[in-house]
Amino acid sequence: MIPPSQHRRTVIIGFCSRAVCLTLWGVSLPLAWAEPPASDVSAGKAAYTQQCSRCHGDHGRGDGVDAKRFYPRPRDLTLGVYKFRSTASGTPPTDEDLFRTITNGLPGTNMPDWKHLDEATRWQLVYYLKNLSPVFQQTKPEPIAVASDPGLAHADLKKGRQLYEQLGCAACHGPQGRANGTSAGGLVDDWGKPIRPANLTKGWSYRGGSNAHAVMLRMLAGIDGAGMPSYAGALSAADAWPLAYYVTLLQEPAHWNLIAHATRVSGTLPMTLDDPRWDAAEQTDVRVRNVVDTEGEWVHPPTVSSVAFRVLVNNQAIAFRFTWDDPTHDHESSPDRFALLLRPPRGQGDVVTLQAWPSLGAPPLDLCTWSADSGKAFETVATDYERVEHPVMSARQLTTTTADYQDGRWQLMMQRPLRPTSPADAAALSPDVFNPIAIAVWDGGNPTARAVSTWVEIVLRPAFKAGAPATERR
Amino acid sequence: MNTFRTMSAVIVAVLLAIGCGSGKPQDASATDTHGQPEQPTRLAEMPANASSTATAGRASIHGTVHFTGTAPTPEKVKMDADPICQQQHATPVYMEDAVVSNSMLKNVFVYVKDGAKGPFPSPTTPVVLAQAGCWYNPHIFGIQVDQPLEIVNNDATLHNINAKPTINQPFNVAQPVKGMKMTKKFAKPEIMVKFKCNVHPWMNAYVGVVDNPFFSVSGADGSFTITGLPAGTYTLEAWHEKYGTQTQTVTVADGETKTVDLTFTAK
Repeated sequence: MIPPSQHRRTVIIGFCSRAVCLTLWGVSLPLAWAEPPASDVSAGKAAYTQQCSRCHGDHGRGDGVDAKRFYPRPRDLTLGVYKFRSTASGTPPTDEDLFRTITNGLPGTNMPDWKHLDEATRWQLVYYLKNLSPVFQQTKPEPIAVASDPGLAHADLKKGRQLYEQLGCAACHGPQGRANGTSAGGLVDDWGKPIRPANLTKGWSYRGGSNAHAVMLRMLAGIDGAGMPSYAGALSAADAWPLAYYVTLLQEPAHWNLIAHATRVSGTLPMTLDDPRWDAAEQTDVRVRNVVDTEGEWVHPPTVSSVAFRVLVNNQAIAFRFTWDDPTHDHESSPDRFALLLRPPRGQGDVVTLQAWPSLGAPPLDLCTWSADSGKAFETVATDYERVEHPVMSARQLTTTTADYQDGRWQLMMQRPLRPTSPADAAALSPDVFNPIAIAVWDGGNPTARAVSTWVEIVLRPAFKAGAPATERR
Repeated sequence: MNTFRTMSAVIVAVLLAIGCGSGKPQDASATDTHGQPEQPTRLAEMPANASSTATAGRASIHGTVHFTGTAPTPEKVKMDADPICQQQHATPVYMEDAVVSNSMLKNVFVYVKDGAKGPFPSPTTPVVLAQAGCWYNPHIFGIQVDQPLEIVNNDATLHNINAKPTINQPFNVAQPVKGMKMTKKFAKPEIMVKFKCNVHPWMNAYVGVVDNPFFSVSGADGSFTITGLPAGTYTLEAWHEKYGTQTQTVTVADGETKTVDLTFTAK
């Protein structure tokens, strides 16, 4: 049953020239979907109760049983404030915007994609959401004007860079997009809770999607509820594209390996951060997540979200170069800190979940801890993260350690023997097995608990030529 | 075929959005000025808080807002996050959330909450909210329902205007360029709507959206004046961002000037 307004639209289309239609096809939304079904209230409610209420709450107020443990918090759907829209700031999202968010989820958050639900069910959820807030009856969505996509090859990236500077993006996002702008620390969301700007180098963390089209919409529509304003009055629809493409080029690809390969070098390991041999080593990225405090509530949003590392090894020792973004350089009273965690031989079989470590009865771990105030690193085997202020009997200093902080980014290099003789029970790394490592990192400027990764296995390649081509890794 | 029809509908919607731009519906939320019909010109010259000829009165209320107790030490603002802000201030800048001098309280928003017999037409003269020296000017002000609010950036730095009403529609718009202006309207009465800038977190302002023209803001000497009142009994409400609200009932005869004293106490 075709509604009369849609019938009229179909007739109008008949008069459009093919060229116009094809040009605007480039504007079309990335998803193609079938005709939305008619509203079925009981189906929508059933789907919501089964799939969504656990996080979003029984009545959509963002107070589900899991809500307190998540950052960002699940949305309070009763307010009608939505971040990811193709509509003007202050107006609700379109049905398609809601459908897209449900379908694709929000990367970098705990909102998963729901592609395993059939499209009809996802549309019923869209209708259900619209009934949760009176905003959808009171205000019409105002889709923003968008221009056609020039494509990366034809985008004026120099103009994109100029716009990034002129529009003040660096005030929050930082000059290289590392979320370390001068105003980044003071942002609060609409509910008065601290919020961080996006780290533009981490495309995987863009909630609304990391392609140029999604970035373009975010800039024109703003992200309501968060600190990102709409630039619709300041940025033309055509200019939004070069700026969006410039932003996508700030993104650095992430390599989420759970098995990382240490590249073997002959001779001594690098002593500096910029030794060219680091470039030959494989890069691995790990997510680090804040350990939730005892109340289970987020007070301060995480500021470190991932760490990249490369590993080089020779016959005697192993060297790691870690890179992570931290918006503030804290090297005095509350310094930035980093710990490389290894498994002591005796506890190898124990399951250690770092989100729950340390805890009573938990096994000890081998910790190589570096602190920005001393610039030194010490290795201990301990049941707790201790601040090793002075070298103690049970701690061995890692002598080859160097670190550097530039524009919102730390680089840290630590070297350690494969089989140290001290401290007692130190982890021994071997080429014949998976060697688990993990990471804990503290941003001294962010008064929250540490952020920890999962365990990643390091494989030490058997001895052959350093810088072997990638195909040999198969 | 179904997909094509849906995509065609999307394409037409985009065409309409690009082409028409301003066909915004009359709805109960903040809207832009484009597309609004012109009001009769006789109202254009009237200042914001004058009444229309239909319900003009000749009575007024002159008031003073006193403050008792120890005034809090004003908080100094650190603007080093943005040198463009810092450069514009030779002397230290202080937050305006509690400005007391000679036991008088500034920035109290006083308005007629009950008793005004409307409806009152909305003036077309805009009220201007300026961002200058990384500061909102005025800090506290009033506007009538559907009266245009012109927000202008006088600084060569990025400001965003993040309005957080709870009854009207919120919005968050960037003004990165000096001289940028935008106009907004509030469709429903609301006491008060908070404005803030995310880039410069010390910046905030409050506007009282009132459905009548009878409102005023107390000056540094604590004084305020509301004019043009017809004879009658009114409930005045006084709002301060830190010290809360209070009401007082006032009866004025035709042409009378009544004096009102209000007192806020330190917390």
